[in-house]
Amino acid sequence: MTGRDTDGWRSLDARTLLVHCAWMAAPLGSLALTALATGGDLDLRGWITLGVIGVVFAVITTAGFVTWSRTRYRVTGDSLELRTGLFTRRLRSVPLHRVRNVDLTANPVQRVLGLTVLRAGTAGSAGGRSELSLDALSRPEAVRLRAELLARAGAVSAQDPVLATADPRRLRYAPLTFWVFGGVFAALGAVWRVFDGIGIKPWRIGFVRRSFEEFGHSALWLTVPLALLAVVVTGVIGSVLLYAENWGRYRLEWTDEATLGVRHGLLTTRSVSIERARLRGVALREPMLLRAGGGASVRAVAGGLGNREENRKRSAVLPPASRAEALRVCAGVLGEEVPTDGLLPHPRVALRRRVVRALTWCVLPPTVALAVLGWLLTPVLLYCAAGYALLATPVACHLARDAYRALGHAVRGRHLVVRSGTFGRETVTLRRDAVLAWTFSDTPFSRRSGVVTVTAGVAAGEDGYRIRDMSATEAAGFADTATPGIVTEFLDGSPLADHPRNASDEARI
Amino acid sequence: MVEHRHHTRVRLRPPRNSVDPRARRWWTVQSLVTVSGPLLLTALTLFVLSLLFFPGALPWLGPLLLVVLVLPALAYTLTMPGWRYRVHAWELGDTAVYAASGWFWQKRRIAPLSRVQTVDTGRGPIQQYFGLATVTVTTASTAGDVKIAGLSDADARLLAERITAAARTVPGDAA
Repeated sequence: MTGRDTDGWRSLDARTLLVHCAWMAAPLGSLALTALATGGDLDLRGWITLGVIGVVFAVITTAGFVTWSRTRYRVTGDSLELRTGLFTRRLRSVPLHRVRNVDLTANPVQRVLGLTVLRAGTAGSAGGRSELSLDALSRPEAVRLRAELLARAGAVSAQDPVLATADPRRLRYAPLTFWVFGGVFAALGAVWRVFDGIGIKPWRIGFVRRSFEEFGHSALWLTVPLALLAVVVTGVIGSVLLYAENWGRYRLEWTDEATLGVRHGLLTTRSVSIERARLRGVALREPMLLRAGGGASVRAVAGGLGNREENRKRSAVLPPASRAEALRVCAGVLGEEVPTDGLLPHPRVALRRRVVRALTWCVLPPTVALAVLGWLLTPVLLYCAAGYALLATPVACHLARDAYRALGHAVRGRHLVVRSGTFGRETVTLRRDAVLAWTFSDTPFSRRSGVVTVTAGVAAGEDGYRIRDMSATEAAGFADTATPGIVTEFLDGSPLADHPRNASDEARI
Repeated sequence: MVEHRHHTRVRLRPPRNSVDPRARRWWTVQSLVTVSGPLLLTALTLFVLSLLFFPGALPWLGPLLLVVLVLPALAYTLTMPGWRYRVHAWELGDTAVYAASGWFWQKRRIAPLSRVQTVDTGRGPIQQYFGLATVTVTTASTAGDVKIAGLSDADARLLAERITAAARTVPGDAA
């Protein structure tokens, strides 16, 4: 229970000690089963096991107790403080105004015990990131503390609170993810590695070999589709289960005026709070398969969620759902509707660049490889080369055209909208005032084509959001329109520009 | 919904100040140490081994080594430093810092002084030998960090001081 001593120092919940004992369940369980099977008659090995468990239990519990008893936290007027350590006392203090998000998580054991881990993250700049975690508090205490921390972190204006909740109908979008196939192969790979690790070669197992020889060999036309079907069915079941576990009990809401809260997870509850002041925009994600099924997912573009990897995990605000719902959530998160259609297209030369790229990287290498092998070995491969080229060229061209059609950008009110991608299409809506740098990158090829890739730097999400292959004559003007002032003084034609220029720079552009 | 009005045909001009001419020699040494040197050494080793043990392979191995290792290494060392020198440039404006870098892939980046968090000056061992330094201006985003490489020591110190001073006078929110 939460104890209090002088000066407002509080201790963590004592039930945390029980969490450390959770590992004993498996060995004790198996021991109990053994005892049951032998009629309560434990042999020497059983007693030794019990002894070892007892000793380890004592050590862990003592260590846990010492840690618990020496750990104290408190919220003072302006900071959250954590005191730890037995011999070397450490005091960590986080100023409340720097707290950017407060996460509550609980693993299954902690949930059973009614415990919650609270993590208070701050805006760590460029790599160095400080986080303070209280492991663990009782659930009501954690909720209360989070509210207190976030209330001190500042407040903005109000809006309708709940944006989306769990909806079983959304499960139909679960199979439209990479994990349908990727997951099955990942699982097979894991099984294979386990077998390999213990020295079993699956093709040596009599059963596998016999069935392969009798069934697989004779009726290949039947086995291959059946195997594919099995993979798909397993994948669909797996992805639905994963989706249900990950996104069960999902709820997206403005917990108060200044905080967007996302909670999801059936067994392990994951809950992320995003401060409105750190919210720079949203990304509407439509991977190819999901797009074909009319779905989309939404990610918040926010800062203070940890490093790049953690940001990707924690910034999801809507799982794969219908596109209409995704758009609605985007508007709810942004606080206003920002239309993402009718974006300005990019120059036609961008299409040519995509076609050329698709042909040189996807069509040409296998065709050439097959042709060379065919020329060296057997003419059959020459036909294969021709067949591949004939089949792959239209596909590559279609994908290139799709990628070109995806390209678009626009300034919409207070926001900047950028869209790109064919396999993983993403429409990013960014606050214009969040852009803190512009980067223009090109190569001799793109310069000849008159296009440039422009990157808007923001202190959130992926850090840089690229507008690929913009017209070089419009790029600088666009950046100037989107964020007045940043690039203005470096534009040709601005009053500062008529100084003599460095001779070495003349050759460019 | 605000449709946006484009400035018609405005272009970004290159930054005004080029880097120190000694940077060319620094980049040459760097290319020899990191890319060309290892490539040439590999080519030499293979050539000598083949000469000693498989003289029969020389007629095809020689040209292969020349095309795959020696020529690319020489081309890189001979073209990259000069090209890079023509590209690299910097400028400290009234409200923003602007730098151009790269050689084949070129990058021009502009970050407003109001967003500057730190200004670092770094000198690698080869740079020290040539009396050069790299100034890195960091912002809250990795896509906003401006790096100006190949400045003379004195320029670097001056630039770092000026950016720090300018960042202090320009009102900003570095977050």
